Amino acid sequence: MTISNYYLPQGREVEIFKGAAANGLPVMIKGPTGCGKTRFVEYMAERLGRKVYTIACHDDLTASDLVGRHLIGAEGTFWQDGPLTRAVREGGICYLDEVVEARKDTTVVLHPLSDHRRILPVERTGELLHAHPDFMLVISYNPGYQNLMKGLKPSTRQRFVGLSFNYPDADREVLIVCQESGAEKNVAQQLVALGNDLRRMKDHDLEEAASTRLLIYTALMINSGLTAKEACSVCLVEPLTDDLAMQQAIGRLIDVHF
Amino acid sequence: MEEFIGDLWHRVVTRQAQTDYPDAQVELAVLTPQLAPFYRAMGGSPGKVLEASQPRAFNTQRRLVQRIAGTHRRFSVSWQDERSVRLPPSLALFPERDINEDLYFWLTALAAKQSYLQHWFIDNLRASYELLAEKPGLKKTYNRLVSAVINQRELLTGSSGADQEGEMAIRQALRDPGCIQSLPRTKVGLLPVPLWLYPPPMQIVSIDSEDNLDECESGMATVSQIYGSRKEANRIDDSKETDGLLIFQLESLFSWTEQVELDRCQDEDDEDNLASAVEDLDIISLSRQRRAGAAKVKFDLDLPSVHNDELPVGDGIKLPEWNHQKSQLVKDFCLLQPMLADDAVPVAIPEHLNRTACHLKNRFAKLHLQRQWQYRQPYGEELDLDAWLDNETSPVCSQEEQPCFKARTANARELSCLLLADLSMSTDSALNADQRVIDVIRDTLLLFAEALSGSGDQFAIYGFSSVKNKQVRYNLLKNFSETYSDQARGRIIAIKPGFYTRMGAAIRQSTEILKQQKSQQRLLLIVSDGKPNDIDHYEGRYGIEDTRHAILDAKRQGIQPFCVTIDDKGNDYLPYLFGSQGYALVNDVSRLPTLLPKLYLNLVGLNS
Repeated sequence: MTISNYYLPQGREVEIFKGAAANGLPVMIKGPTGCGKTRFVEYMAERLGRKVYTIACHDDLTASDLVGRHLIGAEGTFWQDGPLTRAVREGGICYLDEVVEARKDTTVVLHPLSDHRRILPVERTGELLHAHPDFMLVISYNPGYQNLMKGLKPSTRQRFVGLSFNYPDADREVLIVCQESGAEKNVAQQLVALGNDLRRMKDHDLEEAASTRLLIYTALMINSGLTAKEACSVCLVEPLTDDLAMQQAIGRLIDVHF
Repeated sequence: MEEFIGDLWHRVVTRQAQTDYPDAQVELAVLTPQLAPFYRAMGGSPGKVLEASQPRAFNTQRRLVQRIAGTHRRFSVSWQDERSVRLPPSLALFPERDINEDLYFWLTALAAKQSYLQHWFIDNLRASYELLAEKPGLKKTYNRLVSAVINQRELLTGSSGADQEGEMAIRQALRDPGCIQSLPRTKVGLLPVPLWLYPPPMQIVSIDSEDNLDECESGMATVSQIYGSRKEANRIDDSKETDGLLIFQLESLFSWTEQVELDRCQDEDDEDNLASAVEDLDIISLSRQRRAGAAKVKFDLDLPSVHNDELPVGDGIKLPEWNHQKSQLVKDFCLLQPMLADDAVPVAIPEHLNRTACHLKNRFAKLHLQRQWQYRQPYGEELDLDAWLDNETSPVCSQEEQPCFKARTANARELSCLLLADLSMSTDSALNADQRVIDVIRDTLLLFAEALSGSGDQFAIYGFSSVKNKQVRYNLLKNFSETYSDQARGRIIAIKPGFYTRMGAAIRQSTEILKQQKSQQRLLLIVSDGKPNDIDHYEGRYGIEDTRHAILDAKRQGIQPFCVTIDDKGNDYLPYLFGSQGYALVNDVSRLPTLLPKLYLNLVGLNS
């Protein structure tokens, strides 16, 4: 079987995910933005031969957005399954991205699915769905964003197998940047070194560190003909900060690398 | 006339001797906002700050005109210690502005690379070599800097035999930092190399003085601050009883820097004279022998007498403190004493704040509760299609009219806020003719309390100051359970400047109090006017690290700390303590009272 998604494991996360899948346990993935959470889920889905239903959570997401609702059609109303219900019926990975963005009362519908019962009561149609053996629930969030207004209820958290992600170490990151962008190794090495310098500024000077994704974007832009400095400026400086002094400081840092 | 000629001569001769390019001058203060993040990104310790260094004397060979003009004797070189990185206050070495700027960035990168210096020559070369190998982009800058430096050295140094060898070695080392391993000895000191870091100024620290520092602290009534850079200081052994006696022949007194055993403690001169003497001296020697002049008052023990003091509540609370050198939390190190101003008289809101207070109160009252979409309402602004469909398709369809509107209505907000005010001695300083910092803080607390009492959010107000670890005074101004009344207002109005700022202990106690609140969101708002400090070892890095530890701990407990400061140097250390989004610097102090309530709204996400 060939896998189209490229993923380079950082630790034992592949084995852990497989173990959780074999036991029907839900998984919670924590990590900063752009460190490979979504890619990992897609990769694992492909390896396990399951379909992924991705739901990007937002603060107006209601339980019926997950479970399903009645819609009006030419023939009157009909029931439309939500992504969660579809995954429960057909078997597959239901992936809730940035789950803390969703309101807390919404995430409560996940509770009966994420413990030993593995059921989903669909109130509006009066159904009680037993999850397909291949059904798996995966949620992800970025602990850095978590302010006090938003957070996971402890009772929700306690139902999951937790995996903590971070940016890969320099050697792995170079491989990833090369693989994803097709950049030359020395360019990737400098980009990764720059990225690691920028990550030191997190909390102190920058709200968010430069993600692997941003480094890949930069490498892609360099490949398509921009100079390294231009690419860094548009892909790293601008997305990271609006502050002029900080932009100049990062500009200096880029000069040091290229 | 004599003075005029002298002045003219001075100007002419210094211009002749000048090798700087004032037109291309770059100031450190202007570049610091860029240099500081750059330093951290290059791997420098985030706790260190960038500061201006003081010129120090170098025994170099000077040209005749330089000797006549008296220039080129002292140079500002870069160095670093535990606490800070010192860079020259301004650079005008090269004719082009951008090379001078590049030099600042190079020095910053080098300082981040080598955290300690064992051997000046070898360590600088090694660090330069490693830096150039790691960061290929620096090569171009470095080469440009080196050729500029070498050009300049060729102009400055003559070509006399013995020193030439050392000079050549330096130039070679600059060109190729990977090759030379030792520097030949020279009779006269070599011209300082602006591209390298120098060791910190000599310090003789081991003193055997019988006087205990704890017993007598400086009692100066006013503190005149010498702005700009710090002075080199060393400590000397002054235990012998030869105060002020010159024990050498006067002919041998060459310069100001010769040690003159001048006992400044008993010098009753004006402050101005002291300040100008400080400006003139290269090195200030301190001794631990203190016999304060009769006119001065011992200060740190000047606690209010038992009768005048506020009521201590209980025996005090023991709190830990973080020692960053040992990397451990020292248990029960601080004694925090809750204080209550029991004799404060209840008062109404002061006249001058009345209007603003009313305005704020009304504004906050409107925000009483957060508005959110509510579904399945009997009436509302929009149709709730989901609810209608749901009703239509329900297996047990009701014939009665079902609520199928959605409306935006208020929803309860669960929030507790503890305001912690810094009541240290520095708040006693005057702001303008009729206001002190403490007056502004008092107004701020009052307006904040008025505003929040309108919103219905849970809040408490405490103040703190400290005298070493034995007494951290924690003033209760309003606690969570009492309603905001004239009584609490009286306590706020009665606040007065206290002692020092042991911030860590106060934050730990506030964390404890907030933890007992059941609200979902808990906010710890700190209003401060300066760095954490106390008269014992609690200053500089120690205080910063302890405070940071306390803040991280509060965050771990689910409390959201936020600092509002009026310290214009706050940008140096606050990001390290609170994170870049965790503080606000108020430049115009008089606006603090009106800004704080606005800030609060932003913090709790109500201002959208």
